[in-house]
Amino acid sequence: MDSDEEDFVFYGTPIEREEEVTSRKKKAVAEASGLLRTLPPWKQEVTDEEGRRRFHGAFTGGYSAGYYNTVGSKEGWIPQTFTSSQKNRAEIKQQSILNFLDDDEKGEMEGRSLGTSMKFDTFGFTAAEIARKQAEKEQQQRPSIIPGPAPDELVLPATDSIGVKLLLKMGWRHGHAIKDSRTNSLYDARREARKAFLALSSDHKAAQRTGSEDVKGDLGNIVELPMDNDHQSPHSTPVYVLNPKQDLHGLGYDPFKHAPEFREKKRSRLHEDKELVNRKPLSIKDNLFAFRSGRVAPGFGIGALEELDAEDEDVYASGYAFEETYVQEIEEPTKQGVDKTKKRSGKEQGVLPGFKLASNSDYQLERFDPPVIPKDFVPCHKFPALLDMNTKFSDGSPPEIPPPEDNNLKILIEGVAAIVACCGKLFEDLSREKNQSNPLFSFLNGGDGHDYYSRKLWEERQKRNDRKKLELDGKVVLSIQKMTAESRGKILGERPLERSSKDLSSASTSSNVKLQFHLSDTFTKPESFNEVPDAAKPFRDDPAKQGRFEQFLKDKYDGGLRSKDSSGASNMSEAARARERLEFEAAAEAIRKGNWGKETSHSNQQMWDMPTTTSLQFTSAGLEKVAQVEELMKKMYPKREEFQWRPSPILCKRFDILDPYMGKPPPPPRLRSKMDSLIFLPDSTKPVKVEETAAAFTDSLSVPPPGSEDITSKEATGEFQNDVEVENVERPVDLYKAIFSDDSDDEVENSSPNQVEDPEKKNGAVSTTLNRLIAGDFLESLGKELGLDVPPDLPNSENKTRVSASQKDTVNSKRGNVDTLEVENPLIETLSSEKNRSGKVEHGKGAQVDRHRNRSSRSPVDERNRKHFRRDGHRICNSDSETTSSEDYRDLHHSRSKGREKGSSREKSSRRKHSKHRKHERGDSLSRSHHGSDKERGDAKREKRR
Amino acid sequence: MSGGGGIGELPRKEASVLKGHEGAVLAARFNADGNYCLSCGKDRTIRLWNPHRGILIKTYKAHGREVRDVHCTQDNSKLSSCGGDRQVFYWDVATGRVIRKFRGHDSEVNAVKFNEYASVVVSAGYDRSVRAWDCRSHSTEPIQIIDTFLDSVMSVSLTKSEIIAGSVDGTIRTFDIRIGREISDDLGQPVNCIALSNDGNCILASCLDSTLRLLDRSTGELLQEYKGHTCKSYKMDCLLTNNDACVTGGSEDGIIFFWDLVDASVVSSFRAHASVVTSVSYHPTDSCMISASVDGTIRVWKT
Repeated sequence: MDSDEEDFVFYGTPIEREEEVTSRKKKAVAEASGLLRTLPPWKQEVTDEEGRRRFHGAFTGGYSAGYYNTVGSKEGWIPQTFTSSQKNRAEIKQQSILNFLDDDEKGEMEGRSLGTSMKFDTFGFTAAEIARKQAEKEQQQRPSIIPGPAPDELVLPATDSIGVKLLLKMGWRHGHAIKDSRTNSLYDARREARKAFLALSSDHKAAQRTGSEDVKGDLGNIVELPMDNDHQSPHSTPVYVLNPKQDLHGLGYDPFKHAPEFREKKRSRLHEDKELVNRKPLSIKDNLFAFRSGRVAPGFGIGALEELDAEDEDVYASGYAFEETYVQEIEEPTKQGVDKTKKRSGKEQGVLPGFKLASNSDYQLERFDPPVIPKDFVPCHKFPALLDMNTKFSDGSPPEIPPPEDNNLKILIEGVAAIVACCGKLFEDLSREKNQSNPLFSFLNGGDGHDYYSRKLWEERQKRNDRKKLELDGKVVLSIQKMTAESRGKILGERPLERSSKDLSSASTSSNVKLQFHLSDTFTKPESFNEVPDAAKPFRDDPAKQGRFEQFLKDKYDGGLRSKDSSGASNMSEAARARERLEFEAAAEAIRKGNWGKETSHSNQQMWDMPTTTSLQFTSAGLEKVAQVEELMKKMYPKREEFQWRPSPILCKRFDILDPYMGKPPPPPRLRSKMDSLIFLPDSTKPVKVEETAAAFTDSLSVPPPGSEDITSKEATGEFQNDVEVENVERPVDLYKAIFSDDSDDEVENSSPNQVEDPEKKNGAVSTTLNRLIAGDFLESLGKELGLDVPPDLPNSENKTRVSASQKDTVNSKRGNVDTLEVENPLIETLSSEKNRSGKVEHGKGAQVDRHRNRSSRSPVDERNRKHFRRDGHRICNSDSETTSSEDYRDLHHSRSKGREKGSSREKSSRRKHSKHRKHERGDSLSRSHHGSDKERGDAKREKRR
Repeated sequence: MSGGGGIGELPRKEASVLKGHEGAVLAARFNADGNYCLSCGKDRTIRLWNPHRGILIKTYKAHGREVRDVHCTQDNSKLSSCGGDRQVFYWDVATGRVIRKFRGHDSEVNAVKFNEYASVVVSAGYDRSVRAWDCRSHSTEPIQIIDTFLDSVMSVSLTKSEIIAGSVDGTIRTFDIRIGREISDDLGQPVNCIALSNDGNCILASCLDSTLRLLDRSTGELLQEYKGHTCKSYKMDCLLTNNDACVTGGSEDGIIFFWDLVDASVVSSFRAHASVVTSVSYHPTDSCMISASVDGTIRVWKT
């Protein structure tokens, strides 16, 4: 440095730089913002406006008076009274707000606690409270079975909240989505697209390169897709039907969870039972052997299984081949169910009341050893004519039958035959059952056109068998491997995929519509089922998976019997199955939306690859797992997301760019719903929030940096303005308040633009702005006529409290929202957990090796949640402005000795609100000005007149 | 402009060695016209060099800790630097005085850049935030804080209307001031350094899995990956040559690599330093490059 100085020649007197002149002042500011918060409290110095160390006077404490230059003590404002610790050792001093209130204030408070009036009961809290009290009262009058007060969750307010009322007025109905369907569907679509991207294929690398255009188009498609069907947004608010609890199960227990087939049965039985009971209400049998019906005495063990269903009987008795039935049930639920009930009823008749089956009966199950497997046995089974197993009757070909005259019937028959041929006899039984009363389907029961039907069915089967034989012959060599899901799918009569479209198309494409119509009793969603063969085969490359997918579709849309997870996926792990299910859901959704183009199938093909790479249980080629994972990572990333971001106006200015948000109200942040705009929340944009949270977060001593506070509060003001205006339009203008509201606020803000502004104050001020505007003319003319001065000030504290209260409420409700929004996406999660990133980055030798953060293991979902949370955090900040604002005040006070006259009116209005609480917080700075406040008030008034 | 991407065109010959830093040199940067270069390092100094003549012009001392990044305005009148002392310094080049110190980052500041008009300094820090500081006003508070990052922000780049930053959370986030959007490209690997192509259409990201990745900025598509070097724990620069023909970057073993932009093959690689190559900077027009290393030297490479 010194050598460098020699290069320069200096003339004249150096002009002292501005920075140096005000350096002390600057230092004070900088310390206030930066340094102070890093220091422990006992090291901090109190300085005055000029940056000098505060001096209290030689006899009043010198440089450090009181408790770190405050008048308080460690315990707070009031010094603790002395208590002998010997006598009462653990007496905890309880402080409450009453300790800090004057007598008159206490009197004011007495018997009047704040609460929302019914009129402004935005969130129904008051209504809920009333309802709860009502319930309590009722509780006392007639005791219920459950002792104790009713749980809060069970008591619901009788009235809808104002928000719901408003929504209803706007045309919203229960069960509909409230959110902005457009943005949300966009968001969903993006998520969908991301999901698709996640699954970029590994074995299609080359194809991928060339087909990257495809993927792009695909993305575009998906993004555009939801625009078309906005109206049927899949996410809508759930309507909660409060079903009375009529059984004695534990809450949430569903005995039919894994056996949905029996649910229907149970319901019908229950019905019957009721009738029966009605007929002979006091059946001795029922009373004596109550365990048989189970409803009366939920004892140990089987108590939860209230109905004596087939399975439930004799849980502890032997002789019931439980496992066997389980396996079989998976294969063919209906038959088994029927069989079982038959068996059961037979058994039941044999048992007398008062007797139970012997646990060890004479009758022993004869057991046979399994046959010895010959050595040359190849564990591979060919299925030469698999469907014939189900169709013993149709071995001989039925004679050729002319089709019935009725064209509709013909088409119907053909369609049913085709489906039965591919889906197996099960389907026939099913549709027969379901359409028993339907004359159109009489052909199933041997009525009209039955012969034609059987002929058709036979034909279809022939066709299929021929094809399958061909296939199998070609595959014999390969098929030495274990029975794959594919072959199992074939046994089960599922459709293998790629070849299947042809035969059905004759029936389904030509007469798709009619068939749909006729079959609509059978299927809740016929079109999607019918569409599967010809339109969408997302998993074309893996027939087994496609089989499962179709099974899934059937399950999803049939509404009938469910043979869940039966379709040969038994060798998949739970996780893999769940993942696949998710995938299926996505695919089904896409199919339903009818936008299942070839590109999608392409990307979905990649989607399928993911489970194999993560849990290689299904592919035979699981060798290059590592390579695949790597490949997968490559395909997964990069993924792109877009968010709203709001640059600060000054940044735009400095970049010489027009502020994209100039003059605009802050755009809704991510995932904002219509609801938000309805509850008049000052929903500021993200960047602002981020700044505020950052400020709140980073300042360990929570001293807000004045500059940033400045910006945010300014921005916040803009937002408040908007929202509050909306609010104001709704309610009647309080003219008096409008006229006599405090004008001094404006003055203060105008005169000291660089000073820290209190957001809450602004809030209040803004809320009256419109009122003032409306009443402005009137005020002027009135003033002139009367020749009077306008009284300067009337604190509009009522207004303020209401606003802040509503804010708080909103925060609460918001938090609830977010909680429900947290969607777990196992897919993403597993992947993200896989990436094992080292977050450490070194600077030079060992700069920060130890500073490793494992924050990077967060999944994208987390990130989203975090953002939500952040938003909430901000709101909490915003609404709890009590604390921050009081600090603001303190700051204000320090930096404003000259402008005290201006500030005085402001102080006064605030003082009323914060009362003593704040007085001690503000410490001596206030105490100085306190005794002169009356005078100041006068000053302010005088200034006003001038 | 130098011509195509032949090996002969690449700066592989050592023209001079700039010695002076004690300890590791953490960054070396050409100025806007390429006549001078700036370096900064663990010795808490910033040095201004004439790399072509190999002489030290000036030393800037004010930082209390290591200096991690330095950037110079287009008109060469101001500097900004940042480092371990959690501050961003705004310097006057001629006098060597600190005009302003921007405090606000909660931890080390990794990277700093001026915008085109030298009115804003944008810094990226270990505290997961990117902050924009106003050089025009006297305020020392950030005019914008971006803290959507999940981890340390390692590198920042500016265009006329965008702020682009790469973070250890694996994302490259583009903040478009014109439309007020944040675009996040998740690479899945911690991003160490980002560099814009000279045409501004692509972005090169150095990831901690020893891979450079080239992204299309408009679509977010991964265009190419460049491998062969080692980059696992150090912040190391990467960049595109001034004709966008090659991608270059250092390695932790002291080797500098040149890859062909299109087919990602290693065009050239040579041992440049005894230790980690922390920084590389390419001359804006000529075929000349400087590299800085933990071994304390800055080397100038020419054809």
